[in-house]
Amino acid sequence: MDKLKLFSYIGLIISIIGIGYALIFNLPAWIVYTISIFLIPVFLLTIGLIVMAKPIKDEEEERVFEPFIGY
Amino acid sequence: MASILINLLIAAFMGTVLIGLQRKVMARVQMRPGPPIIQYVLHTLKFYLKETSFPKTAAMPFYIAIASTLCAIWVTGIIMGPVTQGSLLLIFGIYAMHKIVEHNAGSSSGSPYGKLSCVRAVFSASAELPLFALLIVVYLQTHTMIISDIITYQSINGPLIFSIPLAGIMFFVLLITKSHYSLFSITKGKDIISGYETEHFGVMRGYLMFSESISWYMLLWIYLTVFFGPLSLISYFMGMIVISVIIAIINAISPILNPNHSVMFQITCAFIGIFGSIILMII
Repeated sequence: MDKLKLFSYIGLIISIIGIGYALIFNLPAWIVYTISIFLIPVFLLTIGLIVMAKPIKDEEEERVFEPFIGY
Repeated sequence: MASILINLLIAAFMGTVLIGLQRKVMARVQMRPGPPIIQYVLHTLKFYLKETSFPKTAAMPFYIAIASTLCAIWVTGIIMGPVTQGSLLLIFGIYAMHKIVEHNAGSSSGSPYGKLSCVRAVFSASAELPLFALLIVVYLQTHTMIISDIITYQSINGPLIFSIPLAGIMFFVLLITKSHYSLFSITKGKDIISGYETEHFGVMRGYLMFSESISWYMLLWIYLTVFFGPLSLISYFMGMIVISVIIAIINAISPILNPNHSVMFQITCAFIGIFGSIILMII
């Protein structure tokens, strides 16, 4: 599994746990706000990176890691 | 937490629908059929599911982190606004951060279009001057920066749009500045393709669009709350629709201004707004 997918899954699990914890338990407001500000964006990003369309194996190197064409 | 999530969902949905409505009204004014109102919703979802790619010239992980930062600041906006009705000064801070994100998103990709947008984002920080001036005027009138106290003030003394109308106009100019396809949208003008978003592809673009829809909803929410006082949910939605339609009509009949003219106009508005409001308060 490549690095991006690995970090995405880790991020997703941490964010689900954090958001679930804040939803279920009665935490102080500042903890809830901190969890929201950090983990909601991580959740949205990681779920997007996991569910996004995948390239064909042969074309992966060429498509995902765009070659430098010189600006 | 549930309140934050619910408000976030409402903001994201309403923001995307209002942007779509704006596009539809603009098209109709220009005698075109235009896309369906849910087009922005569909675009956001479409991009969210598309494969992304990372330019070799991108400054990683900053390139990804900056998109997350935009989402984080608008989650903060939701918390400061509808959830806690906190300080307007923090809302100003969020808009300043949004400007910083525009700047850094452009520079993080390494694209020349992104870099041009990055520079223009610095110019268009002049759009924050009306917002800053507005904070001063609101404070001088109500003696508070806390949104809940401003609402209480208006329930006793009437809407602020009648007591500080120039400030209301100034904020309306800010709304136009922040709207899509506006005459002041120099950071995303078509002459620079999509500006700072040009090299954020697929999921990253969808992510940015999601955050921008929340920012549009929040800007309208702040305007209605600060200038029209305590409102019901239906009044908020009606107000947001009316303002979006008016802004769409203005944007449809105006070309994008040259960056220098855009800056001049916004600074002039800030100047007239703040000094005019102070003079009106003294008289």
